[in-house]
Amino acid sequence: MSNKIASPSLPISLAVIALGTAFAILFLGAENEYLIGSLLVFVTLAVVASSKFNILNRMYATFAVHEVLMQAAIVVATLLLVAWFYDDHFSLLMITAAMVYAIAAIGLNIQFGYAGVLNFAGAAFLGIGCYTSAVLGQYTNLPSMLILCLGGLVAAVIGTILILPVLRTSGHYAALVTIAFSILFKTFLEVNDVLGGPQGLNVKPTVLFGWNFNTNIEIRDEFEASFYLCYALLALFLLALAFIFTRRLERSWIGLSMDSIRLDETASACYGLNIALWKSVAFTFGNFLIGVAGAMYGQMLGYVAPSNFTFGDSLILVSIVLLGGIGNPWGVITAASIVILLPEKFQIIQEYRFLLYGIVVIFILLYRPKGLLPRQLRNYLPGGMKA
Amino acid sequence: MQKTFRILTFLVMVCLVGSLLTTAALAKEKVKVAFIGPLTGGVSANGIGGRNSAQLAVNLRNADPSAKYEYEMISLDDECKPNIGVQVATKAAADKHVIAAATHYCSAVAMGAVGTYNKFGLPVIVWGAVLPDVTYGNDYKEVHRVNGTMINQNQVAAKFMRDMGYKTWVIIHDTTDYGKGHNTYFTKELEKVGGKILGRFGVTADQQDFTAELTKVKQLNPDVVYFGGLTNIGVRIRLQMEKLGVDAQFQGTSGIKSDAFLNTLGPLSEGALSFQEGAPIDKLPGGKYFTEQYDKAGFERGHEAYGPFAFAAMNLILDTIEDVGPNRKKVRKSLNKVNGYESIVGEISFDDHGQNKVAAITKYVGQDGKWVVWEDSEYGNGKRKLKKL
Repeated sequence: MSNKIASPSLPISLAVIALGTAFAILFLGAENEYLIGSLLVFVTLAVVASSKFNILNRMYATFAVHEVLMQAAIVVATLLLVAWFYDDHFSLLMITAAMVYAIAAIGLNIQFGYAGVLNFAGAAFLGIGCYTSAVLGQYTNLPSMLILCLGGLVAAVIGTILILPVLRTSGHYAALVTIAFSILFKTFLEVNDVLGGPQGLNVKPTVLFGWNFNTNIEIRDEFEASFYLCYALLALFLLALAFIFTRRLERSWIGLSMDSIRLDETASACYGLNIALWKSVAFTFGNFLIGVAGAMYGQMLGYVAPSNFTFGDSLILVSIVLLGGIGNPWGVITAASIVILLPEKFQIIQEYRFLLYGIVVIFILLYRPKGLLPRQLRNYLPGGMKA
Repeated sequence: MQKTFRILTFLVMVCLVGSLLTTAALAKEKVKVAFIGPLTGGVSANGIGGRNSAQLAVNLRNADPSAKYEYEMISLDDECKPNIGVQVATKAAADKHVIAAATHYCSAVAMGAVGTYNKFGLPVIVWGAVLPDVTYGNDYKEVHRVNGTMINQNQVAAKFMRDMGYKTWVIIHDTTDYGKGHNTYFTKELEKVGGKILGRFGVTADQQDFTAELTKVKQLNPDVVYFGGLTNIGVRIRLQMEKLGVDAQFQGTSGIKSDAFLNTLGPLSEGALSFQEGAPIDKLPGGKYFTEQYDKAGFERGHEAYGPFAFAAMNLILDTIEDVGPNRKKVRKSLNKVNGYESIVGEISFDDHGQNKVAAITKYVGQDGKWVVWEDSEYGNGKRKLKKL
């Protein structure tokens, strides 16, 4: 949160989004190490330059004033990105994976960023979603969209087991409870034969209106698009829903209560806020979103196994929220793209890739200790903060 | 300030254009193949060993003037995680220039990724994953495997034990995937060669006391106690067998072939049997050639147990491409028909699921506190005798 006063500028903001899209296209398509290296250097310079010219703050201001328009611009930009790679299976898979992780991280953001409930079992709830869609797909004929919802519901319901211990403890101890759950979850899956044991389970693909998402889109031999296009569009849709929902939540009195509880429990209790209630609501709703993301991820990958959902993966989810800037869904979305895409682009340096990736993350946090896009002042109404 | 920024931007643009141009300039007749394995994480030593070995196969081929194509190997890291496995499998398979791939060390990853290969029609040879279902759990024509599985291990074990003259068995297995798999496949193979199973006991992987099970075993009085599980409970069972006076031959699986088993048991490990996929490098037909070349190439890290399999898998891919040309469908068809192919890990013949039928399995016996290859041991040449013979 900078104290500099920045004036909103629609042209600059739209140009930045356009530039960002062009950069994403170049970066995703980049195959050789020089290109990737130069792109990384370029983006570093661009970020340095934008902070010099106060562009980021102007973007924030523009977002505050022309909120709907800017959000629409970003959706259009993502659609363009997806359309650009319409027949490139791998790039679409990566874009979709980033969006799925963004949905899960938004769920975690409600817990962490709004109500201040720590959750180090994100991957476990992601796993619950995956396994729900595996089991329901195998034994029932429920429509895929219903399975996605049920994935979220099951995650939320299983999460209620944790509510009591999480509410009774606080701070580090609450974190410990979720860490224990995360480890327990993986062990449980490994010894449980009904759920496939360590080998895992196959998951049926998403089917919508009779259209199987695992078939390529072909129009009269001339046009062929990757089947991941459907998944990418579905993920974008879900991400938009999740985003709108959290934004509404944040702006409502519920969000206000959550913020107040995070900042000072005692004071909130004095003013009559039901701390246990709002913490449980945040925890449950967050788990619901993570579960939905998991259910979709499972259907896209077609296969789930316990080793996808280790404690390490939970840490990745947490790191997305921290890197993005706690409490800001835009930051979370940006960070999810970085955390998912960057290690993948570093495949060219093989076994050293996580080393370099770690260094990049440390550098980002060194220069932006509050995350990439820190949370801004509360904006009660779209366009309400006229400069 | 603005000026420096402009100069920097210009430089970046030059870099960009430059790198694009170099890619274009290198465009020669090239064939791409892929390697996938765990290059980071807990089992990265095996993955890197496999990667180096596959790279060695490609390098040797490129150095060979009679090779028709110039090969380029892209290697991808699956982190031993199924979701990442599916990602990199998609990356390799969706790239139409990649003709074939040597893939996966971790079974769960292979299980997740085989569907992707089938979907995109990329022929692959598995070089390390041992779970039978990777090849037998599906009908994918794209998937092959050079290394053996639990099935091969138990096939060799059952035949070997029957040939020795043993007739009756009791099976003790742990209730993990590993133990249960061994129970199933050993039973199946033993039925084929006509052995008799008197009893079967499932034990949990952290059980301490086996008195109940072993008292029953003593009553049944089998020739052999077959143990499907890992070292820690293997040691306990062997100790308690002695305590209760169960006088049967102890036959283990690859799970007990560890130094810990020998050291903890001391003299009691004498004559214990174990079977393992692969072979010590000097026992492989091409082992000497492989180690020589590997050392010459100067890799930083060792090739580990499955390196030779990765080398053999990659070599088989390259030979097939040389033979039928860089075309996925032709390579797949040709790989399906591989029969009696000579490789450094011995003869390779794929069955109708793409599994190598004559996979190398080595028999080990505990002798003077060491695991000795059966053929070289004093048991093998008749100086010492196993129990109940």
